[in-house]
Amino acid sequence: MKAGIRSHQLILPSVVCSTHVSRRIAQEVGGVTFAHQHGCAIIGVDVAGIDNFFIDLASHPNVASVLVVALGCETIQGNELAEKIVTRNPATKYLVIQESAGVDDAVSKGVVAANSLASRFPEPRHAEDPIVVGISSQGNAGELVAFLQAEGLHTVESSEGFSALMSAKVHLIVSFTDSMQPPTGFPLIPVINIASDSELHLAFSQEFDLSHDASHQEIAAKISTVARGEQTKSEANSSGEIVAPRLVRSV
Amino acid sequence: MKELRAFARADGRWGFRNHVLLLPLHQVLSNVSREVEDLVTGAVAVSHDWAGEVDSDFERISKVLSGIGNNPNNFATIVLMIGTQIENEIVERSRTQGSVPLHVLSLKHEGSMSNLRSRAIEIATKLVGQSVKEKRDIAPMSAIVLGLECGGSDAYSGITANPALGIASDQLVAQGATSILAETMEILGSEHLLAARAINPTVAQQIIDVVARYEKSISYEGIDIRGAQPSRGNIEGGLSTLEEKSLGAAKKAGSAQFTGVLEFADVAPTPGLYFMDTPGHDIEQLSGFAAAGVNITVFTTGRGTPTGSAVIPTIKVATNSEMGNVLTDLIDLNAGTIADGLQTLEEVGALIYDEIIRVANGELTKAEINGQHEFNLSRLYGSTL
Repeated sequence: MKAGIRSHQLILPSVVCSTHVSRRIAQEVGGVTFAHQHGCAIIGVDVAGIDNFFIDLASHPNVASVLVVALGCETIQGNELAEKIVTRNPATKYLVIQESAGVDDAVSKGVVAANSLASRFPEPRHAEDPIVVGISSQGNAGELVAFLQAEGLHTVESSEGFSALMSAKVHLIVSFTDSMQPPTGFPLIPVINIASDSELHLAFSQEFDLSHDASHQEIAAKISTVARGEQTKSEANSSGEIVAPRLVRSV
Repeated sequence: MKELRAFARADGRWGFRNHVLLLPLHQVLSNVSREVEDLVTGAVAVSHDWAGEVDSDFERISKVLSGIGNNPNNFATIVLMIGTQIENEIVERSRTQGSVPLHVLSLKHEGSMSNLRSRAIEIATKLVGQSVKEKRDIAPMSAIVLGLECGGSDAYSGITANPALGIASDQLVAQGATSILAETMEILGSEHLLAARAINPTVAQQIIDVVARYEKSISYEGIDIRGAQPSRGNIEGGLSTLEEKSLGAAKKAGSAQFTGVLEFADVAPTPGLYFMDTPGHDIEQLSGFAAAGVNITVFTTGRGTPTGSAVIPTIKVATNSEMGNVLTDLIDLNAGTIADGLQTLEEVGALIYDEIIRVANGELTKAEINGQHEFNLSRLYGSTL
């Protein structure tokens, strides 16, 4: 497993119906969770697609430990998902709401399980591997890529959104924010938002980590401080939802 | 008949709750909405993952966002937006649909997330203060727009909770209420039985057509729905085929005539029993109901699901005592007593009817007590519909 630049405990709901219980557990233990609408009533390629997406999240280098929270009757079965995750991240447990004595009992059991994982796997991994920087851009970031590589960083470029960069296991993301979009984030992965000079971006310029005229040196310096633990603006706001890859409508 | 008490809305609709709803129009504002809900007692929030994309799903997304903002259970809605034209269009659409006051805050105008958050907290606190002073009036039974839902079905669903709910639905429809059956997948195989109960041949044909259209929309990639359903949880609960699941699911709609067929998230134009085309996905259905102005829902469940809605009180009815007597903090009523031989279908139907009136009048459901509610934006991803 690769070293991370964050050491998050992921409370992973295997289905939309367990997102609320997951949130209550995450709030108790200081973990990271996210709301989503998947895990059940999915068919075709989406079954493997969502399963693999959850596995990618749980085995991301910024994740220290994982508690899978299942409902019980969903398509993506929590125990099977946890079995696949544990081969990639040994600090994994799962909980099934329908095998508990209700919502409150599930939350209590989840808190105990999450805390036991934190005590069994207490050490954040230290970064010795090179840092992999994801670059999210609609345009060509070739010059920046060359500059960062010369600095010893690895890079992955994508215009397909943050989820694709997550699956590529980038440690952090540099996002050239679209001129008509707000700066945004991704749970688990720090995102450095770089503004454009659009009227919209100027209206809330303080929400960006870097301005539109940031030099390559400034971007590299920001990557370095964020990698060492400085929170990005979107991390501080916990802003940005996870968009899971879907191709087929729910049934 | 029991007395019904509700909040009268300026457009003639009735609310059974007086919510102050936080509605983000961009995914990046979802967390601000949740934070305001956590900080301001009495405020409720929805969150979602839409980032303003205008694609083949945009019309469906715009309909659900504008509709939930205007649900009659809302005293007021605080709309959080970035400040783009596409968001303005959704706000205007919501305004034309009904009388729920919208308070719009934009990041562009406020200049920062922290300003936006502070303003939202300030306005939510003020609105909650106003909402709790409002008084209920005596309402006609036509105030009820009942959503019928089932999730995590088992072999008991079709013989206990669903037919008991059907009895309550029939009684309410006879008294002038609106009742909506949904989940197109779950009437697949029993559509001919429902069509035979249509008020006229046009509605009968609409029921047949909506199921055919649905089957086509999910077979576009060569996927056979009959192989994917019943779900694994359904099978573990004793269901053998999709047709068996469907015959049980349709029993939630009792035996009343079908007045009409509604597209996803459409508002029912007159009282009566309707069928709405929705996915079987519990949360997509519930979100569609919320956008369609449904103000109370009964949700039958065999396996036990904690689901609720931010704006619609959702009464959970267990189909079997084995689950219903264990998951007591998420089940409102146990219909498993029918299979246990302790109560008749008619007796449990009457209990569900009474529970609907009590909850409509203000009694909290388990999901509301737990603060449990999900929301999402149903997408078709280019399916042929």
